[in-house]
Amino acid sequence: MTENFSTIYSITESEIDLNDLLAKITLTSTGAAAIFTGMVRGVTSRGDGHETEYLEYESYVPMAEAKMKQVADEIRERWPVVEGIAIVQRIGKLYPKTPTVLIACTAAHRDTGVFEAARYGIDRLKEIVPVWKKEVGPDGQEWVEGDYIPKPGE
Amino acid sequence: MNHIKLLFFATIRDRAGTKSMEMDIPADMTILQLKEKLGSDYPNLKESMKSVLITINREYAFDEAIVPSDAEIALFPPVSGG
Repeated sequence: MTENFSTIYSITESEIDLNDLLAKITLTSTGAAAIFTGMVRGVTSRGDGHETEYLEYESYVPMAEAKMKQVADEIRERWPVVEGIAIVQRIGKLYPKTPTVLIACTAAHRDTGVFEAARYGIDRLKEIVPVWKKEVGPDGQEWVEGDYIPKPGE
Repeated sequence: MNHIKLLFFATIRDRAGTKSMEMDIPADMTILQLKEKLGSDYPNLKESMKSVLITINREYAFDEAIVPSDAEIALFPPVSGG
Protein backbone atom coordinates (compact mmCIF):
# COMPACT_ATOMS: atom_id res chain seq x y z
CA MET A 1 0.00 0.00 0.00
CA THR A 2 1.43 3.37 -0.99
CA GLU A 3 0.49 6.46 0.95
CA ASN A 4 0.39 9.84 -0.72
CA PHE A 5 3.50 11.93 -0.21
CA SER A 6 2.57 15.06 1.65
CA THR A 7 3.86 18.57 1.08
CA ILE A 8 3.20 21.34 3.57
CA TYR A 9 4.15 24.94 2.92
CA SER A 10 3.00 28.06 4.72
CA ILE A 11 3.72 31.54 5.97
CA THR A 12 2.42 31.83 9.52
CA GLU A 13 2.24 34.24 12.42
CA SER A 14 1.91 31.33 14.85
CA GLU A 15 4.54 29.35 16.68
CA ILE A 16 6.15 26.65 14.53
CA ASP A 17 5.02 23.25 15.87
CA LEU A 18 7.76 20.79 14.93
CA ASN A 19 6.01 17.71 16.32
CA ASP A 20 2.81 18.45 14.45
CA LEU A 21 4.65 19.08 11.17
CA LEU A 22 6.79 15.99 11.57
CA ALA A 23 3.73 13.82 12.19
CA LYS A 24 2.15 15.15 8.99
CA ILE A 25 5.15 14.23 6.81
CA THR A 26 5.83 10.82 8.38
CA LEU A 27 4.46 7.87 6.41
CA THR A 28 4.50 4.22 7.43
CA SER A 29 7.46 3.83 5.05
CA THR A 30 9.39 6.74 6.61
CA GLY A 31 12.49 5.97 8.66
CA ALA A 32 14.38 9.27 8.56
CA ALA A 33 13.74 12.99 8.75
CA ALA A 34 16.24 15.78 8.18
CA ILE A 35 15.10 18.98 9.86
CA PHE A 36 16.61 22.43 9.54
CA THR A 37 15.32 25.21 11.69
CA GLY A 38 16.64 28.75 11.97
CA MET A 39 16.09 31.01 14.96
CA VAL A 40 16.65 34.66 15.87
CA ARG A 41 20.28 35.10 16.95
CA GLY A 42 20.58 37.58 19.81
CA VAL A 43 24.34 37.97 19.63
CA THR A 44 26.25 37.87 16.36
CA SER A 45 30.00 37.44 16.49
CA ARG A 46 30.77 36.47 12.88
CA GLY A 47 31.71 39.45 10.67
CA ASP A 48 30.32 42.74 11.89
CA GLY A 49 29.50 41.71 15.49
CA HIS A 50 26.30 43.12 16.98
CA GLU A 51 23.34 42.44 19.21
CA THR A 52 19.74 41.96 18.10
CA GLU A 53 16.68 42.86 20.20
CA TYR A 54 14.22 41.40 17.73
CA LEU A 55 13.57 40.81 14.05
CA GLU A 56 10.41 41.95 12.33
CA TYR A 57 9.51 39.74 9.37
CA GLU A 58 7.13 40.54 6.56
CA SER A 59 6.12 38.66 3.45
CA TYR A 60 4.29 38.93 0.14
CA VAL A 61 2.24 35.99 1.36
CA PRO A 62 0.48 34.59 -1.74
CA MET A 63 3.67 34.72 -3.81
CA ALA A 64 5.77 33.39 -0.93
CA GLU A 65 3.53 30.34 -0.55
CA ALA A 66 3.62 29.74 -4.32
CA LYS A 67 7.42 29.95 -4.30
CA MET A 68 7.60 27.56 -1.31
CA LYS A 69 5.61 25.07 -3.35
CA GLN A 70 8.08 25.62 -6.20
CA VAL A 71 10.98 24.88 -3.82
CA ALA A 72 9.23 21.67 -2.73
CA ASP A 73 8.69 20.70 -6.39
CA GLU A 74 12.40 21.31 -7.09
CA ILE A 75 13.32 19.08 -4.12
CA ARG A 76 11.12 16.27 -5.42
CA GLU A 77 12.60 16.58 -8.89
CA ARG A 78 16.17 16.29 -7.52
CA TRP A 79 15.51 13.74 -4.75
CA PRO A 80 12.56 11.56 -5.84
CA VAL A 81 13.12 9.40 -2.73
CA VAL A 82 11.98 12.24 -0.47
CA GLU A 83 8.58 11.30 0.99
CA GLY A 84 7.28 14.31 2.92
CA ILE A 85 8.29 17.96 2.81
CA ALA A 86 7.41 20.75 5.25
CA ILE A 87 8.46 24.35 4.60
CA VAL A 88 7.23 26.94 7.10
CA GLN A 89 8.29 30.56 7.59
CA ARG A 90 7.05 32.47 10.61
CA ILE A 91 6.57 36.25 10.25
CA GLY A 92 5.90 39.13 12.64
CA LYS A 93 8.01 40.35 15.55
CA LEU A 94 10.32 37.56 16.71
CA TYR A 95 12.76 37.63 19.61
CA PRO A 96 16.11 35.87 20.13
CA LYS A 97 15.96 32.08 20.46
CA THR A 98 12.61 31.92 18.64
CA PRO A 99 12.47 29.53 15.66
CA THR A 100 11.64 31.52 12.51
CA VAL A 101 11.81 28.95 9.74
CA LEU A 102 11.60 25.19 9.39
CA ILE A 103 12.42 22.88 6.49
CA ALA A 104 11.92 19.17 7.03
CA CYS A 105 12.25 16.32 4.55
CA THR A 106 11.48 12.67 5.24
CA ALA A 107 12.61 9.50 3.48
CA ALA A 108 12.81 5.77 4.07
CA HIS A 109 16.47 5.91 5.13
CA ARG A 110 19.03 8.54 6.11
CA ASP A 111 21.46 7.74 3.27
CA THR A 112 19.03 8.74 0.53
CA GLY A 113 20.02 12.38 0.12
CA VAL A 114 17.48 13.57 2.67
CA PHE A 115 20.04 15.79 4.45
CA GLU A 116 20.99 17.45 1.16
CA ALA A 117 17.32 17.88 0.27
CA ALA A 118 16.65 19.86 3.46
CA ARG A 119 19.80 21.93 2.91
CA TYR A 120 18.66 22.70 -0.64
CA GLY A 121 15.27 23.74 0.70
CA ILE A 122 16.58 26.36 3.10
CA ASP A 123 19.09 27.67 0.55
CA ARG A 124 16.38 28.08 -2.10
CA LEU A 125 13.96 29.66 0.37
CA LYS A 126 16.57 32.31 1.07
CA GLU A 127 16.95 32.95 -2.67
CA ILE A 128 13.45 33.14 -4.10
CA VAL A 129 10.74 33.24 -1.39
CA PRO A 130 9.61 36.85 -0.85
CA VAL A 131 10.18 37.40 2.87
CA TRP A 132 12.17 40.22 4.46
CA LYS A 133 13.34 41.00 7.96
CA LYS A 134 14.07 44.26 9.72
CA GLU A 135 16.67 43.96 12.43
CA VAL A 136 16.15 46.04 15.57
CA GLY A 137 19.05 46.43 18.01
CA PRO A 138 20.51 48.84 20.54
CA ASP A 139 21.86 51.04 17.73
CA GLY A 140 18.64 51.35 15.73
CA GLN A 141 16.87 49.41 13.01
CA GLU A 142 17.82 48.26 9.56
CA TRP A 143 16.25 46.15 6.82
CA VAL A 144 18.31 43.08 6.01
CA GLU A 145 18.68 42.69 2.25
CA GLY A 146 19.65 39.49 0.48
CA ASP A 147 21.98 39.35 -2.50
CA TYR A 148 20.32 36.85 -4.83
CA ILE A 149 18.85 38.10 -8.10
CA PRO A 150 16.33 35.55 -9.45
CA LYS A 151 16.72 34.46 -13.05
CA PRO A 152 13.93 34.18 -15.64
CA GLY A 153 11.83 31.12 -14.85
CA GLU A 154 12.59 31.22 -11.13
CA MET B 1 -4.27 52.52 -21.08
CA ASN B 2 -3.78 49.57 -18.73
CA HIS B 3 -4.87 49.68 -15.10
CA ILE B 4 -2.39 48.08 -12.69
CA LYS B 5 -1.95 47.58 -8.95
CA LEU B 6 1.45 48.14 -7.35
CA LEU B 7 2.56 46.55 -4.07
CA PHE B 8 5.66 47.70 -2.17
CA PHE B 9 7.59 45.74 0.45
CA ALA B 10 10.41 46.29 2.96
CA THR B 11 12.77 49.18 2.06
CA ILE B 12 10.79 50.01 -1.06
CA ARG B 13 7.58 50.44 0.98
CA ASP B 14 9.37 52.67 3.48
CA ARG B 15 10.64 54.90 0.68
CA ALA B 16 7.32 54.92 -1.19
CA GLY B 17 5.50 55.76 2.05
CA THR B 18 2.66 53.41 1.09
CA LYS B 19 1.97 49.67 0.83
CA SER B 20 0.15 49.87 -2.47
CA MET B 21 -1.22 52.11 -5.19
CA GLU B 22 -3.11 51.81 -8.44
CA MET B 23 -2.26 53.54 -11.68
CA ASP B 24 -2.99 53.68 -15.39
CA ILE B 25 -0.11 53.09 -17.76
CA PRO B 26 0.25 52.91 -21.57
CA ALA B 27 -0.74 49.51 -22.97
CA ASP B 28 2.73 48.61 -24.25
CA MET B 29 4.77 49.73 -21.25
CA THR B 30 7.73 47.53 -20.27
CA ILE B 31 9.05 46.85 -16.77
CA LEU B 32 12.05 49.04 -17.56
CA GLN B 33 9.76 51.93 -18.56
CA LEU B 34 7.64 51.40 -15.46
CA LYS B 35 10.76 51.64 -13.26
CA GLU B 36 11.77 54.85 -15.05
CA LYS B 37 8.29 56.29 -14.56
CA LEU B 38 8.24 55.43 -10.84
CA GLY B 39 11.74 56.87 -10.39
CA SER B 40 10.72 60.16 -11.95
CA ASP B 41 7.21 60.39 -10.39
CA TYR B 42 8.51 59.47 -6.91
CA PRO B 43 12.04 60.83 -6.42
CA ASN B 44 12.39 58.85 -3.16
CA LEU B 45 12.22 55.66 -5.26
CA LYS B 46 14.72 56.70 -7.93
CA GLU B 47 17.77 55.14 -6.23
CA SER B 48 15.85 51.96 -5.33
CA MET B 49 14.86 51.33 -8.96
CA LYS B 50 18.45 50.29 -9.80
CA SER B 51 18.39 47.13 -7.67
CA VAL B 52 14.68 46.47 -7.15
CA LEU B 53 13.16 43.06 -7.87
CA ILE B 54 9.83 43.16 -9.69
CA THR B 55 7.11 40.58 -10.09
CA ILE B 56 4.15 40.44 -12.46
CA ASN B 57 1.24 38.44 -11.06
CA ARG B 58 3.55 36.79 -8.49
CA GLU B 59 6.29 35.69 -10.90
CA TYR B 60 9.68 37.38 -11.21
CA ALA B 61 9.77 39.72 -14.20
CA PHE B 62 12.56 41.45 -16.06
CA ASP B 63 13.18 44.71 -17.92
CA GLU B 64 11.86 43.68 -21.36
CA ALA B 65 8.56 42.23 -20.10
CA ILE B 66 5.39 44.09 -21.10
CA VAL B 67 3.12 44.93 -18.18
CA PRO B 68 -0.30 43.33 -18.84
CA SER B 69 -3.60 44.96 -17.99
CA ASP B 70 -4.94 44.41 -14.47
CA ALA B 71 -1.50 43.15 -13.42
CA GLU B 72 -0.48 42.89 -9.78
CA ILE B 73 3.05 44.30 -9.77
CA ALA B 74 5.21 43.97 -6.67
CA LEU B 75 8.46 45.82 -6.03
CA PHE B 76 10.91 44.73 -3.34
CA PRO B 77 14.58 44.33 -2.47
CA PRO B 78 16.41 40.98 -2.70
CA VAL B 79 14.72 38.64 -0.23
CA SER B 80 16.06 37.99 3.29
CA GLY B 81 13.85 35.29 4.80
CA GLY B 82 14.89 32.35 6.88
